Amino acid sequence: VFSVHMVGEGSVSICRSAGKATSSPAENYLLARRRTLQVVVSALLTESGFESAEKAAVETLTEMLQSYITEIGRCAKAYCEHTARSVPTLSDTVVTLIEMGFNVDTLPIYAKRSQRMVITAPPVTNAPVTPKALSAGQKRTHPAHIPSHFPEFPDPHTYIKTPTFREPVSDYQVVREKAATQRRDVERALTRFIAKTGETQSLFKDDITTFPLIAAQPSTIPYLSALLPSELELQALEETDSSEQDDQTDGENTHIALDDPGADKENSMLPPSGVVPSTKASEDNVIDNPYLRPVKKPKVRRKK
Amino acid sequence: MNRKKDKGFESPRPFKLTHQVVCINNINFQRKSVIGYVELTIFPTVVNLNRIKLNSKQCRIYRVRVNDLEAPFLYNDPTLEVCHHESKQRNLNYFSSAYTAAVSAVDPDAGHGELVIKVPSELWKQGDDLKVLKVYIEFSLDQPKGGLHFVVPDVEGSMAERGAHVFSFGYQNSTRFWFPCVDSYSELCTWKLEFTVDASMVAVSCGDLVETIYTHDMRKKTFHYVLPIPTAAPNISLAVGPFEILVDPYMHEVTHFCLPQLLPLLKHSMSYLHEIFEFYEEILTCRYPYSCFKTVFVDEAYVQVSSYASMSIFSTNLLHSAMIIDQTPQTRRCLAQALAQQFFGCFISRMSWADEWVLKGISGYIYGLYLKKTFGVNEYRHWIKEELDKIVEYELKMGGVLLHPTFSGGKEKDNPTPHLHFSIKHPHTLSWEYYKMFQCKAHLVMRLIENRISMEFMLQVFNKLLSLASTASSQKYQSHMWSQMLLSTHAFLKSISNVSGKDIGPLIKQWVDQSSVVKFFGSFAFNRKRNVLELEIRQDYTSSGTQKYVGPIKVTVQELDGSFNHMLQIEENSLKHDIPCHSKSRRNKKKKIPLMNGEEVDMDLSAMDADSPLLWIRIDPDMSILRKVEFEQADFMWQYQLRYERDVVAQEEAISALEKFPTPASRLALTDILEQEQCFYKVRMQACFCLAKIANAMVSTWQGPPAMKSLFTRMFCCKSCPNIVKTNNFINFQSYFLQKTMPVAMALLRDGQNICPKDVLNFILDLIKYNDNRKNKFSDNYYRADLIEALTNSLTPAMSINNEVRTVDNLNADVRLILEEITRFLNMEKLLPSFRNTITISCLRAIRQLQKNGHIPSDPSLFKSYAQYGHFVDLRIAALEALVDYTRVERSSAELQWLLSMAQNDPVHYVRHKILGMLCKNPPFTKTTDSALCNEALVDQLWKFMNSGTSHDWRLRCDAVNLYYMLFGLTRPSCLPLPELGLVLNLKEKKAVLNPTIKPELGVGAVMDTPASIGIHGFNTMEDEDIDMETVHDSQAFIHHHLNLLERPSTPGTHTHTHTHTHTHTHTLIAEYRNTHTHHCRGHYIHVTSYKQALDNKKKPAKPGSVRRTSTSAGRG
Repeated sequence: VFSVHMVGEGSVSICRSAGKATSSPAENYLLARRRTLQVVVSALLTESGFESAEKAAVETLTEMLQSYITEIGRCAKAYCEHTARSVPTLSDTVVTLIEMGFNVDTLPIYAKRSQRMVITAPPVTNAPVTPKALSAGQKRTHPAHIPSHFPEFPDPHTYIKTPTFREPVSDYQVVREKAATQRRDVERALTRFIAKTGETQSLFKDDITTFPLIAAQPSTIPYLSALLPSELELQALEETDSSEQDDQTDGENTHIALDDPGADKENSMLPPSGVVPSTKASEDNVIDNPYLRPVKKPKVRRKK
Repeated sequence: MNRKKDKGFESPRPFKLTHQVVCINNINFQRKSVIGYVELTIFPTVVNLNRIKLNSKQCRIYRVRVNDLEAPFLYNDPTLEVCHHESKQRNLNYFSSAYTAAVSAVDPDAGHGELVIKVPSELWKQGDDLKVLKVYIEFSLDQPKGGLHFVVPDVEGSMAERGAHVFSFGYQNSTRFWFPCVDSYSELCTWKLEFTVDASMVAVSCGDLVETIYTHDMRKKTFHYVLPIPTAAPNISLAVGPFEILVDPYMHEVTHFCLPQLLPLLKHSMSYLHEIFEFYEEILTCRYPYSCFKTVFVDEAYVQVSSYASMSIFSTNLLHSAMIIDQTPQTRRCLAQALAQQFFGCFISRMSWADEWVLKGISGYIYGLYLKKTFGVNEYRHWIKEELDKIVEYELKMGGVLLHPTFSGGKEKDNPTPHLHFSIKHPHTLSWEYYKMFQCKAHLVMRLIENRISMEFMLQVFNKLLSLASTASSQKYQSHMWSQMLLSTHAFLKSISNVSGKDIGPLIKQWVDQSSVVKFFGSFAFNRKRNVLELEIRQDYTSSGTQKYVGPIKVTVQELDGSFNHMLQIEENSLKHDIPCHSKSRRNKKKKIPLMNGEEVDMDLSAMDADSPLLWIRIDPDMSILRKVEFEQADFMWQYQLRYERDVVAQEEAISALEKFPTPASRLALTDILEQEQCFYKVRMQACFCLAKIANAMVSTWQGPPAMKSLFTRMFCCKSCPNIVKTNNFINFQSYFLQKTMPVAMALLRDGQNICPKDVLNFILDLIKYNDNRKNKFSDNYYRADLIEALTNSLTPAMSINNEVRTVDNLNADVRLILEEITRFLNMEKLLPSFRNTITISCLRAIRQLQKNGHIPSDPSLFKSYAQYGHFVDLRIAALEALVDYTRVERSSAELQWLLSMAQNDPVHYVRHKILGMLCKNPPFTKTTDSALCNEALVDQLWKFMNSGTSHDWRLRCDAVNLYYMLFGLTRPSCLPLPELGLVLNLKEKKAVLNPTIKPELGVGAVMDTPASIGIHGFNTMEDEDIDMETVHDSQAFIHHHLNLLERPSTPGTHTHTHTHTHTHTHTLIAEYRNTHTHHCRGHYIHVTSYKQALDNKKKPAKPGSVRRTSTSAGRG
C-alpha cells in the first residue's frame, strides 16, 4: 500500500517540493525519492525475514521496483489521456494494475497486514523549479472560433519566425582586411607545413627555421607547370566568366577594339572565344589537311 | 663586273645541285641516334669533274656511291680543332685568324666542304657530255651535339608518352650537322624528304606532306615530303615528336604542332596568325609562296623563332593562355617575325653572306610595318627609337657594325672591321651580339630607304622581287632561272632604282658600305635682333664607332606661331645654321598655339623666356639618320616638349633630358603626363622612373607625400579606403602596365639618409597584402612579380656588410618584412606555379640583392639548385644570372668553375649560350683588372673550350671567343709566363732569312716532317704564301692517296685525329693563311720585340700589363 501510495503521489504530483536548496533541486529530488525507495525495499526485505542484503541486490530490487512503479504511472497516464482527461483517476490506476497482471483485490488486505513497517515520509524536498519559460512577446489569445478550453497558445517564440541575423560587416575596409589576413594566414600556414614536412633550403646558416624555403625540385617536364594555368586559376576564370566582369569585357574588347584602329590595340589580344568563323562547323568535314589524312597501309602485295 | 652580276649567280662549285633526297629511316630516342641516307642529283658544269666537295659535320659516313659506283671520300673538318699546335701564346688574334681560316677552308660559298668525294674515274672519263651524277651517301649520327637536338624527359612510359621529341636547329647555315649537303644559302634545289618514325609520333618537315605510310610491321610510319620550290639546304628542317595537331581554323593549309597537353594554349596562341598572313599578303600583294605552312613548338629551343622553308620552329614557351597579358604581344611579334622571314630569308634566299643584310633588313622592315598596323604608330615609333638607341649604343661602345662587307683585297690589312676581335667574313665567326645588332641596323637602314623613296615604292620593289622569284621557282632547273630566287645587294639596289627612279647611292654608301653611326651635339642661341635661331650642330667623328655625316638634316622648331620644319645641309665645315623665326617674341594676347599635327592648344606660357618665341627644337625628328643627338635646350623647353609635342619619341627624349633638371616644374610636367590617359603608356611608364630620379635629387625640398603615391592612390585604390588597392581588374591594359610600373619606380625613392622612405615600403607591402585577383579575368603573375621587384628596388645597403654578422637576429626590421614576403611568395609558387615562373624569378633576384646589400649571408647554393637542369628555363637563367653576379662580387673561383662546366655540359644549348653571354656582360674580371681568378689554368680551359670544345655549335664558339676577349684581351693573357727565349730567337732568325717570294718545291713535305711548334708554324705561313687552294687540295689528295686513306673510306669520329689527318688539316689552314700572313707575321714580329723589351726589363719586377699594352699599340699602329 505504501509503495502504491507512493506511486500515486510520485507520478501524479511530482511537484512536491522539498530538500535543501542545492545547486540542482531536480537532482536532489530524485535522489531523495530513490533513497526512500531503497528504504522501502530494505523494509520489505526485513519483513520477509532477511537479516542482511548485499548492496547490489538491494540496488537491483530498487531498480525493479522503480521500473514497476514508473510503468504503472506511465500506463495510468496513458489511460487517462485516452479518455481525454489530463489527470489520472483511481480507475485508471486500477485498470493499469489489472492490465499488468496484478490482482487488485489482494491490495487492501496487503495494505492492512499487521507486520507492515511504517516508514517515515521522505524528507520534504523542494520540487525542482521549472525554469520559467522565456516569455517572448505577448501570448496570443484564442480567436473566436476556438473554444476557450483548448490549450492556450504556446509562447510566441515557438511559432513566430523572427528573422534574426547579425548586421553583416558592411565596412569595405574591414572585409578586405579580413580577406587579406585570412589568405595570408592560410598561405603562411600551408607553406610552413609543407616546409616542415619536406626538404628545405635556408638563407641563413645559423637559423634554418625562421625563413624556411621549400627546396627546389627539378621536374622532368618543367614547361608544363610553367605554362599551363593551374586548376585554381582556371576555376577562378570560370567563376569570373559567369560573373559581372564578363558583361563589360565581351562587348568592349573583342569587338570594339578590333574595329577601331585608334583604340587600344592590345585589347584585341583577348580570346576570340567562339569567334571562329561560323562556316567552320559546316566545313569541318571537308578540311583537307595532309596531317589529318589516314595513314596508308604498306603496299605488301605489290612487292611480292 | 655589274653586268656579270646581272646575268645571274655564278656558282663557286664545278657542279650545280638540282635535287636532293634526304631519307632518315631510323630515329632512336633512347640512344639519340639517327640513320639515313641522302642522294644528291648534280649537274657537272665542267668537264672531268673529278671531285665533289660537300658539307658534312658530325655525321658518320658509311659509304658513298656515285651513280651506283663506290666512291672514295675524304672527311676533314678543320673547325673541330682550330689551332692544332700546343700554342703557349694563347693569343686571341692568332686564334681568330686561324678560326676564320678554318671556316673559310670548308666554306660552301667558296666551293669548299668537309667532305671530298672522288668521282670514280669511270665516270669522269666519259668526258664532255656532262651527264647527271647521283651522289648517294649513307650516314648516321650518334648523340649529335649540334644540328639536331633530342629532348627526352626522364620519366616512365613510351617515348611518346614522355613527350620526347627531336628537332633541327642551328645558327645560320648549319644543316651540315645533320645530313651531308651543300650547306649554302645560294645552292638551291628541289627536295624529297622521308622520315620513318614511331607510329605514335609525327615528323614535320619542309614542303608538302604527300603521304604517310605504315611500315610492314605497322609499328612505324614514314612521312613523305616533297618540296618542289627550289630551296637551300640551310632552310631545311625537321621536327619529330608526339605532337598534338591543330589545323588552323581560318586557313586549312596551315597546321600547328605542340607538345602533349598544350593544345588549349596552342589554340589560343595561334588564333591570331591568320591576321598576320593577311597583312603580309596584302602589303606585298603576293600570296604566301609555299602551299602550306607549319608551326612547331618545341622544348629547349635554340632560339625563340627559327624559320625554314614552309615551316617555323618556335620555343614552346611562347605558348600562353588567354589569361596572360604580357606574353601575348611578344608571342605575336615572334609569329610575325617568323612569317616575314618566310618571304625574305626562306623563299628568297641570299646570294652571299655579304647580302645577308638585305634579307634581314626587308624581313625586319615588313615586320615593323606589321607592328605599326597591329600595335599602333606610337608603339612602332617607340620601337624604332629603341632599336636606334640600341644600335647607337652598341656601335659607340664596340665599334662599327658593317652591313655589306667587301673583301676585295683579301688581305688582313683590308679587314673592314679591325676594331673587332672576330672576323665578319663568315656568319660563323660572328659574335652573337654583333649579329643581333647587324639585324637591327639592317631593318633601320631599310626604313631609311623607305624615307627616301616612299613606302609605296618600297613595297613595289618587294613585290617585284617576289614575283621574279615565284616565276623562277616554278621553272624547271634547266631554264637556269633559279638564281632569280637569290637576292643580292646589287639586285636589290637595281630594283630600287628601276622602281623609284631615285639614286640612293649616297645613303647606301653611308650606312651599308660603311660602318658606324653619327654623333651630333646641338645647341642654340636666339638672336633677338635678327629674330633668328642660331643653331650649332657639331659632330664627333673621331671616337670609335662614329662616322662623319654630310647631307641633309631636318630640324623642327616649335614656335609660338606654329611648328616649322627646316631642312639644313650638314657640310664639311659648317657648324652654325641660321634659322629665321616666324613669330615675334611673346605677345600678350592669348592665342592658341598650333602644333605640328594641326592641333591647337592653350599653353601656359609663363615659364618661357619672354624674349624668345621658341618653345622647343628637335633635331632629326623622323630618325632618318642613324645617330645619337645630344641637344641642349632650357628645362622649360623640355617641359613644353614633353607636355605638348605629340610624337612619343619627342616625349621620351624630353623625359630623358628632364632627369638633369630636378625642379618643381619638371615634377609637375611629369606628373601631368602620368595622369594623362591619352598619352602613350610606355611614355607614362618612363615618366615614372624619371619622376623617381627627380624626387631623389630634390629630396631636401620635396613637398607632400612621396612621388606618385597620391597618384597611384587616386588611380588604383578604393575611394572609401585609400590605403587599400582595388581588387585587380586588368581589362584596361594601359592602366595595367602603369599599375605594374609605378610601385617599381616608387621603390627607387630615397630619403635624406639615402634609404627607401618607410611610407613607400609600407605602401608596397600593403599592395602585396591587399592584392586580390579573384575577380580578375587575367593572371596577376607579372604584377606580383613586379611588386617583388619593387621590394627589391627598395633595398639599400646594410649598416655592416660583414658576412659573419648576417644572422636572423641582426636583420633589420624592414628587411625582415621583405624577407617574409619573399619567403611566402617563393613557397607559394611551389604549390601554385605562376606562368613562366615569373614570381620565383623575381624572388631569386630579390634574394641576390639582399645578399649583395649585406642583409643576408652571401651564398650561392640556393641559386645553384635553381640553375639545375629540370627547372623551367627562365628560372634557370635567372638563377645563373645571380650566380654570375656572385662570382664577380665574391671572386669565387669555385663558382666560376661551376658555371664554366655547366656552359660546357648542359643539355640545353640556350642555357650554355646564356651562361657565356652573362659572363661577358658581367665578367668576373676583365683584361684591365688584376684578379686572383685570372690564372693559367683558366686560360687553358677557356682556350681549349673555344678551340675544340665548341665545334658543334658556332654560336657557342663565338660566345667563348667573346668571353676570352673580355677576360684576357686580344693578345697573350697577362697571367701566362713569358715565352721561352729559344722560340723567340728562332722566329726572328727565320724571319730574317726568309724570302717570301720563293715558292717551295714541295711545301707539303716540309709541313709533314716539321714538328709542330709555333715558331715553325709562323714561318711556314710565309712559305706557303703563293700556294692557291687548288694546289693545296690536290696535294692533300696526293698525301691521302699515298697513305691509302682513299682505299678504305672511313669517317674519323669527333675526336679521333690520326696523325696524318692533323697534318693535312694544318696544311689547309696554312693555305688559307695566304691572305692574312702579312699581318700575321707582323704580329709575331711585334711580339718578339715586346718580349724582348720584357726580357730586357726582367731585372725590374715583371709588368705583364705594360708588355701587353706595347704590343697592342704596336699592332694597331
